[in-house]
Amino acid sequence: MKASRVRVNSRPGARLPALPTALSALMATFLLLPTLALLLRGLTAQFWPTLQNSAVQDALRVSLMTTGVTLLLTVLFVTPVAYLLARYRFPGRTLLDALLDLPIVLPPVVAGVGLLLTFGHGGLLGPGLELAGVSLAFSPAAVVMAQLFTSAPFYLRTAKAGFLAVNREAEEAARTDGAGGRQVFLHVTLPLAFPFLLEGLVLTWARALGEFGATVLFAGSLQGKTRTITLSIYSALESDLAPALALSAVMVLLSFGVLLVVRVLAASREQSA
Amino acid sequence: MFKKLALTALLLTASSAAAANLTVFAAASLTDAFTELGRAFDAQTGNRTAFSFAGSQVLRTQLENGAGADVYASANDAQYSPLVSKGLVAAGQAFVRNKLTLIAPKNNPALKTLNDLTRPGLKLVIGDRAVPAGDYTRRMLAAIDRAGTYGKDFSARTLKNVVSEETNVRQVALKVQLGEADAAVVYATDVTPTLKPLVRVIPLPSRFNQNASYPIGVLKGSASPEAAQAFVTYVQSAAGQQILRKWGFSGPQ
Repeated sequence: MKASRVRVNSRPGARLPALPTALSALMATFLLLPTLALLLRGLTAQFWPTLQNSAVQDALRVSLMTTGVTLLLTVLFVTPVAYLLARYRFPGRTLLDALLDLPIVLPPVVAGVGLLLTFGHGGLLGPGLELAGVSLAFSPAAVVMAQLFTSAPFYLRTAKAGFLAVNREAEEAARTDGAGGRQVFLHVTLPLAFPFLLEGLVLTWARALGEFGATVLFAGSLQGKTRTITLSIYSALESDLAPALALSAVMVLLSFGVLLVVRVLAASREQSA
Repeated sequence: MFKKLALTALLLTASSAAAANLTVFAAASLTDAFTELGRAFDAQTGNRTAFSFAGSQVLRTQLENGAGADVYASANDAQYSPLVSKGLVAAGQAFVRNKLTLIAPKNNPALKTLNDLTRPGLKLVIGDRAVPAGDYTRRMLAAIDRAGTYGKDFSARTLKNVVSEETNVRQVALKVQLGEADAAVVYATDVTPTLKPLVRVIPLPSRFNQNASYPIGVLKGSASPEAAQAFVTYVQSAAGQQILRKWGFSGPQ
């Protein structure tokens, strides 16, 4: 990505300007203090025993299962969209490109209302789904749909950038050597775009894991079935704070992990470019 | 007579003092009643009362973690008395009672009688265990088990049909309002004029129903304790009780 190539305008020995430094320190403290508080309160001696708690275990399992399916569906259905948008010109392409970014800026709870109005009992497709014997409400499938809707655009964005960044000459060379369209895609385009795709997947996973608003509306909340980590944190804020704090700490650690992976991937791309 | 005089005097002193900004934390089931009651109270006293409605268990957690409020009204004692023992709120005064009821979407025939609750495949939504409405629901089911009329394992078979445990009772009602659930257990007062045309109400036999008693009190950390006490008094006054009855609540015992 170009942005990271911009050189830092650093003069050795230059002193930091006072006012910007003070304001920056204030803002950085504001951003970091809550995270620190979560880790301090969450990572106590009680952390491991609390993680064994059945509500916590169920939440982790539901979240891992649903986000796993969400990632599979994302790869399967969003990769082709990204490829088409990056490589082909067709009527309505610009509009489609813009519209597919919509879930990124749409409030998740609004996404939940939209899913209800489409796939719910009284929704647009409700009667049809009922005839087909499909009942999505309160099922893990509803959790996956909420995650897919809100998170897939993150993968779409990065994957599109990846397909745009692939050196077309490499593809041409493979083609002159007699490779077919699918072979070129599988053996040249995909490996070259892979760091981008992986970064997109990591971002999508993080967003899916954090999904709350759409899920609570569309899928409900039942331990072991639809109650993901975030829903579990919310309902654990009841009589017993300990599971909420432990799960929050887990989420903070996972978020750090996600950031680290994204950084490493970006750095490896810089080197290979 | 004396009580009435004292009340009037209290309201007068409250109104003569400078107008206060009050924050009232109240159980989700009080949403409509307290919104109207708050307007009447403000009109009479010149205060500005703001409400935060949520499941009582959420409000309790917020108060335990230092949320600033003047008055707390909970839907049960279990989410109230721990705050009294911690010295955060005055002893609760029971100000209103509520009952449970079964609701189902108007055009959905899955639930006709109490016994249908155990029919396999029925989608039932209730409150989470920590939500007062969810706690009353489980007590109601236990009472049915004890009676034995519907079998000793009635609650076990019913709880198998639970597809979602919501974090406040209004979310429970919403799932039926949207037609997503086949049935839900809510308070009688949740069947508001808005909800009424959309749902069928299946009354619960009174011997199984629960007596939901709501405590209210002034928080120790209140910045305007006099105005807060005036609100609590107003809730218990004839005018306040009339508004609460209008929204389906019954008076305290």
